Parts: sequence; structure tokens; C-alpha cells
Amino acid sequence: MNDATQIVRERATALLADGTVAAVVGWAAGRGDHDRHVFVARTPEEAALLVADQYCGALAAKRVLSLLDEGKIALVARGCESRAVNRFMADRQLKRDQVHVIGWPCPGMLDPATGDALKRCTECQRRNPVLSDEVVGDPVPEPELDRFAELERFEQKTPEERRAFFQDMYESCIRCYACRNACPCCTCRVCFVDQERVGWMGEEFTADQARYYGTVRAFHTGDRCIECGECQRVCPQHLPLMLLMHKQVRDIDGLFGPYPGGGMEPEGPDPLRTYHTDDLEEFM
Amino acid sequence: MSRIGVFVCRCGTNIAGTVDVDAVAQAASLMPNVVYVDTNKYTCSDPGQASIAEAINENNLDHVVIASCSPRMHEALFRKLLAEKTNVNPYQLEIANIREQCSWVHKDKAIGTPKAIELVAMAVAKVDSNVDLHTTQIPVTRRALVIGAGIAGIQAALDIADAGFPVTLVERETTIGGKMPMLDKTFPTMDCSACICTPKMSEAAAHPNITIKTLSEVEKVEGYVGNFDVTIREKAKYVDYDKCTGCGQCEEKCPQRKIPSEFNQGLSFRTAVYKPFPQAVPSKSTIDPAHCRMLTKGTCGVCSKVCQAGAINYDDVDRVTTERYGAIVVATGYELINWANIYPEYGGGRYPDVISGLQFERLVNASGPTEGHVLRPSDRKEPKTVVIIKCVGSRDPHKGVSYCSRACCMYAAKHAHQYLDKVPDGRCYVFYMDVRCAGKGYDEFYMRTLQDGAIYLHGRVSRIYERDGKLVCVGEDTLSDQVVSVNADMVVLETAMVPPEGAGTLATTVNIQRGPEGWFTEAHPKLRPVETNTAGVYLAGTAQGPKDIPDTVAQAGAAASKAIGLLCRGYIQSNPMITHIDTAKCSGCGACVDICPYGALSLVEMTARENSRKVTRVVAEVNAGLCQGCGACTVACRPGAADLLGFGDEGIMQEVETYAYR
Repeated sequence: MNDATQIVRERATALLADGTVAAVVGWAAGRGDHDRHVFVARTPEEAALLVADQYCGALAAKRVLSLLDEGKIALVARGCESRAVNRFMADRQLKRDQVHVIGWPCPGMLDPATGDALKRCTECQRRNPVLSDEVVGDPVPEPELDRFAELERFEQKTPEERRAFFQDMYESCIRCYACRNACPCCTCRVCFVDQERVGWMGEEFTADQARYYGTVRAFHTGDRCIECGECQRVCPQHLPLMLLMHKQVRDIDGLFGPYPGGGMEPEGPDPLRTYHTDDLEEFM
Repeated sequence: MSRIGVFVCRCGTNIAGTVDVDAVAQAASLMPNVVYVDTNKYTCSDPGQASIAEAINENNLDHVVIASCSPRMHEALFRKLLAEKTNVNPYQLEIANIREQCSWVHKDKAIGTPKAIELVAMAVAKVDSNVDLHTTQIPVTRRALVIGAGIAGIQAALDIADAGFPVTLVERETTIGGKMPMLDKTFPTMDCSACICTPKMSEAAAHPNITIKTLSEVEKVEGYVGNFDVTIREKAKYVDYDKCTGCGQCEEKCPQRKIPSEFNQGLSFRTAVYKPFPQAVPSKSTIDPAHCRMLTKGTCGVCSKVCQAGAINYDDVDRVTTERYGAIVVATGYELINWANIYPEYGGGRYPDVISGLQFERLVNASGPTEGHVLRPSDRKEPKTVVIIKCVGSRDPHKGVSYCSRACCMYAAKHAHQYLDKVPDGRCYVFYMDVRCAGKGYDEFYMRTLQDGAIYLHGRVSRIYERDGKLVCVGEDTLSDQVVSVNADMVVLETAMVPPEGAGTLATTVNIQRGPEGWFTEAHPKLRPVETNTAGVYLAGTAQGPKDIPDTVAQAGAAASKAIGLLCRGYIQSNPMITHIDTAKCSGCGACVDICPYGALSLVEMTARENSRKVTRVVAEVNAGLCQGCGACTVACRPGAADLLGFGDEGIMQEVETYAYR
């Protein structure tokens, strides 16, 4: 058992035992050797099942939102989970006193099947939690990398190549909405795709409909994206969903920046819903 | 089943010239739920309106489409018709714009007719999804705010105050008056500018309905026509105006005496505690915190010692107040273009005797730094040759601005006249591009200047350099086709008017538009010249564009009369085309609250029964008075919980589908 797992279990047990929190959200082991899934511990016994190691690939934060009725919730939070907490607060889905953040400086996660670093971790720019009530372990050095490398490669393509790229991408989309369900930005009560509105979004299974879904989702989340890459991790078709996100984040940085990315600050509003008297208005 | 009536207008030949109106009517009669179609030569005329009302009542129509001109033109008229003469709700009306967006832009009936049919089809599709909407009356706060206290602001404030409404006059300088008291004489009558301006200033100060706030700036404007909540920052003056008698003792003793005077355009000095000029209103001293020794270094305090009234207060702070106003007049004026930065060929400010027209006004003014003797700044000698250059910055899109500043032709003539009057043995050359003297008595004045002996040379000066104590002005006289060079003792540049610093911030604060040159934009250049696109905000004076004093005063009166009209009425009709929140879809994320430019949205707690459980959650709520129906929230709202009444997603989708599938 690694140190982090041990400390997380100890802290979760203590928090549950003294009634500070009603539940602790973290990860537990599954059947396979490196299977880890998001797990909610409500008793000290369940807390003993928590795991915090290099195979906890899933983003645990969104699970907190469905538990708020139970009381204060503790969340084991790496950089991405902590940014998700900020995201929830900026979107007014969570108040700071509703969550107890057990910060966990992230060692970087591995793909349980291949043992390689997870794609979402290779593009990560923030491993240490941006907010926490307590921290498990020592801070880790922040990665120095160009998270827009893939985007830059993409932008080398000609318009025809890009069109073909997206056509191919959306033809493979099965519209399972896993990306939406995993996304910490997607906290609407009723998603636009689930609404019965004639003429907006059909049930047809075509690349056009998938493109409509993908594009609108990109616009709904792009200015708030915390770049956790969870959408891409959960996509059963392995679509490069972060491409459109990174494009928007980089554009916002260029137009209204400096912009560190979504969820870095505890409070909104986000650049595209903020109005400054000196904003660029060259189109006016 | 709805019963839709379609009325197609010929607008004389305006529409009928490029659209086959009968074919449009024929096509409309086949559209879904259309039960009545008619055409009319002039739908907006009295008989045209009467025939619509009659058709609606006789045929029991419940939705109306009028295919005519832009809704900006007559939508209100037709709504009124429905409200007064029929039982149809006025918002069950759609206008298909087949004039501005169709017949006027096409030349060929073969193109115009099918397009008109498509526009009508879209309007028919949308009107079918329209719902009844109702207006309410909102009371108006019967007070006005005037921003900027130059002659335009003063005139507007006086006119509104005379009509019996309280006015707050906000000025960012230490005195009201603006540029006019700096001028010496006014063309073409040559009456003393200060002598006609300062009585207006005193009148404003003494008026029981006018509150003057100097050294003040508008920080925030919230609310809407009739009820603007305006936050004003009154900067620290370090002098208690209630105690100060304006005696000027402090000014006499202040040891900081080398500060260039703004009022005299840097041609003389002022002190750190000062009144910009003797007739300043309010007639009180103010401490300039950037230069006061006590405020910058903490040692001095002379003014405090000599002040008998005990008015000096070094601990003074800014005062921020928020008050409600019904109408706002923006009269923020102009400033002169910073010519030194863009005309290095005129010395770029290196030669002290190359001065601006406003500096010349001070030189020639009896209360100016030279007591009215024309003496050049460098050595205080009388210049015997003066060159006046017009259009410096104006009509020069490469370096300055592309527009004409309108007043300079006249004041160049005035400067030439004044110089020749004061220095009878002097010579005065005026380099000009054109002489534009449209105005009462203006051309006569110009002719008089020519008779005075001013030499007008058609051409621009390309270079000014110093040689043997003279300013050599090299230019072209295009009429004789020769390069001329004039050895001048002094050069006067008649510089362009430009929007003052901060105009852009004010535009966004008050929510009005600016044109490409930066002047505030009127709602219509001809028919609504003092209104803005924001209801309840009016423009006066050069804030809207360069103009001379008579035009400025006339426009100020016009702006005031518009404001008075609004305040007199006492109420406004609310706009029912506002946002509606579907709380079932609203997740309370607050995107709409953040984005709303009018502060019309807020988050509230709502308790509802959901899945047989009582839950309390946060949702957005619209303030119907504040919402202007701009629709910003409806785009920010991801699940579409915010929808604009009268412009709902469904109606727009119907239009798009009708267009796409036809």
C-alpha cells in the first residue's frame, strides 16, 4: 500500500468518524489488478476501501454534486478535481462550505491497460490542487509542457484536410453522451440534446447530428473548460475532443488574456461572460 | 387553428417597382393557416390602416402579417392600430420587410418577387407561434442628469431646470464652462465669449433646480429609461466648499507657482491651490493633489494657515453617491488633437512660437497672459508676420482625422481679423484647403477678413523650420502653382476637434454607441439627431460631432426638450418583449446574471415539488422593468431556459425551417 492510500484512508476514517463529513468521494479498487473506480465511502469501514494510486484515472469531482443532500462531502482532489470544485462554485452548483477538499498532489496517472501515462495527464498543466482544506503528501513539481501541441499540429492542416478530419471524427461518434456526463462543466438540469424542441436536435444517427451536438457542446463548455481531459478519456470511440477545447482556451487567452484556464480561480465569471469597458470591440 | 391575415403593401412603386405584389399575395394565400390576403397601395395611410382593421374584424383574424417597410418604420404604428381598432393583441403582428431588405436592394422583379415571398412565408411561420403580450406603465423619476458642463451642458441643464425639473450637472474639471470661456471673441459678431458665457455659468449655479458637481465623473449607470441609477464620484477637492469664500488668499500665498495653467493653455502659470480663472463657477479654490507640497511631501500647509474660513482640509476624500435620474444628457464636448505628436514637420512642439488656435485665443484675450497684446510666447515680442494654417489634423486621414472640424474656417478668419486689428502693420497669411463659411453672417465675415488684408494661400504647409530667428513656412500656393515660403514670427495651427479622453469609457458606461471617429452616435442622422439608441439618453454639443457655438446651443436646447418631454409624461410604457425564464430548465448557474448589461437578472431561491419531493433550489429571475429585451441572456443560457418573449426560439426556428425547406 502506498503512502497516499494510507493517509487518505486515515483521514477519511477520521472525517467520517467525527461527523465532519457525511461521505468521502475517492476511488476504490475493482476486480482487475489496476481497475479503479470512483467510490463513495460513507462509513469508516468503507473508508478502508479507498485507494489513491497511479491508476485512479477517473475524475471523481462530479460525484460530489449528487451527494449534496447528504451533508458536507469530502473529496480527494488532485489538480483536476480541485479545478472542478472551482468550476462548480463559479457555476453556482456548489458552495465552498459544502465540500471538504483533501488535496492530493498528483503523481500523474497511468492507463490500466497499457501502463502508459494517461493522455489527459500528459496535457495536464496543474497537478497540485488549486484549493484544499488539507493536503496529503508533498507538493509535486508542475509539468512544463505545451498542452496546445496537438492543436498546433492540427492547425497545419489545410481547410479540406480539417473538413475531412471532422467528418471522420463525427462519423465515428455514437452520441452516447459519455463526454457530457463526465464533464464538470456540464451541470445543466436539462441538456439541450435531451429537450424536445422541434427543429433543434433530432434523434437521427448521422454525422451531421453528431457534429451539431459536438459543436454546440464545445461552445457550451469551451470558455469554462478546466482542461481535465476527462471527456476524451471516457470517449469509447477515442475521439480527440480536447482539440476544440484547447482551441477556445488559447483564443480566449489571446483575445482577453492572460487566461490561465478554467477553474484556476475560485470565483467566476468566466472571460466570455465578463464585460469590461476596455474589452476588444474591433468588430463594432 | 389560427386565422392569419396577410397584407402586402405596394408602397407606391417603392415595393411594386421590383416586387410583383400580386404574385406575393397569390403565394401568401396558399401558406398554412392564411385565410385572408390583401394588397394596398400605401398600407400606412389612413385608408390603408382602416382597410386592415376592417378585414381583421370582418374575417375574425387572430394573427397579422404586414409585408411592407422595415419594422423600425411602422411596426409601432400597426401595433397601435391593432390595439385601438381590433381585438387582436398587438404582439400577434409580424412585419415582413420587403422594402429595405428586398425591393430597394434588387433591380429585377425575377429576384425581388421570390425573395419577398420567402420573407412573407417566414413571417407567417413565426406569427403562428406568437403569444399575446401586454405592456404596463412604469413611472419616470422626474430628474435629469447632464454629463459635461460646457456651454452645451449648461444650456441643456438650464432649459430642463427652467421647465421645473431638478437637474444634476456633472463636470470633471474644477469649474463649469468648458472651452467657451477660454475663447476671446466669437465669430461672426465678435462679442466677447466669456462675457456671454459666464452669465450662463452663474445662472446655472444660482438656479434652484440645478445641482453642480465639479471634479466629478460618472462611474456607473444602471437601470433604464426613466429610472437610471447613476453612480457619481466627486473627487476630493481638499477645500470645504461650504466654508470657502473664494477670497483667493490661499492662491496668493501658495509657494507652488510654476504649474502650467490649463486655462491659459500653458502660456502662464498657476498655483497648486487655485481657481482656473476669476469667473470660475463654483467660485471656490481647489487643491491640485499632484502638485500640492502638503499632499505630495507632507510639508507646507501655508494655505491652511492663511485661510480665514478654515476651509482647507488635507484629509478630504472622494465622495461616491448613487442617485436616480429619469433622463441623461451627454454633453462631454471635444478636445483639440495633439498635433505635436503627428506633425513633426511643423516642429512637433519644438518651436514655442508655433501655437494652437486655442493658445492664440488666450494670447489675444484681455484677461489672458499677455493682457490682450499679441506677443509671441518665446520672447514676448509682437510678431510682424503671422502664418495661420488650417486643417491641421482635420481632413487628413493619414495623420489626423478624415472629417472637417467645421468651426476652424471661421475662427481662422477671426484670428486673422483679430491679429490685423491689433497689429495694423502686421502681415497675415492663411494657408487653406477650402474656405467653408456656411452660416448666418459667416461668409460676410470671411470677406471682411480679406478686406482687412489677410492673404489666403490655397495649399498646405509642408514644413516649418527655424532660420535666423524666423519660422520658415514652406508650402504650395496651388492657384499660382508656386512653392511659397513665408518667414513668419509666429504660426497658428487651427487644429482638429477630437473626442475627449474617456469618451470610450463613458460610451460603455452609459451604453451608447460611438462612430468610427469616436463621436457619440445619434439614433438617426436626420430625424433623431439628439437621441441615442439608448432610450432616455440624449446628446448635446460637440460630443456628437464638431460644431460651432450656435449649433451647440441649439442642439442643447433640442436635447433638453426631448428630456423634458420624457419627464413631463411621467411614465413610460414597458416593453413586453423581455426575457422569460423557464425555471424547470434553469440550473441557477448565473450565466445570465453575469452577462446582463442592465442588471435585470438575479438569482432567487425557489421551492417546488419535483418527483413528489419538495426541493428548494436557486433559479434566475427577471426584473421586467430593467430588462430591455436585448437577448444576451438567451444566448448565454446553455439549456435555453431564458427565452425572449416575442422573439422566442420556437418562432425563430419556424422562420429558419420555413426558409430552409421551401
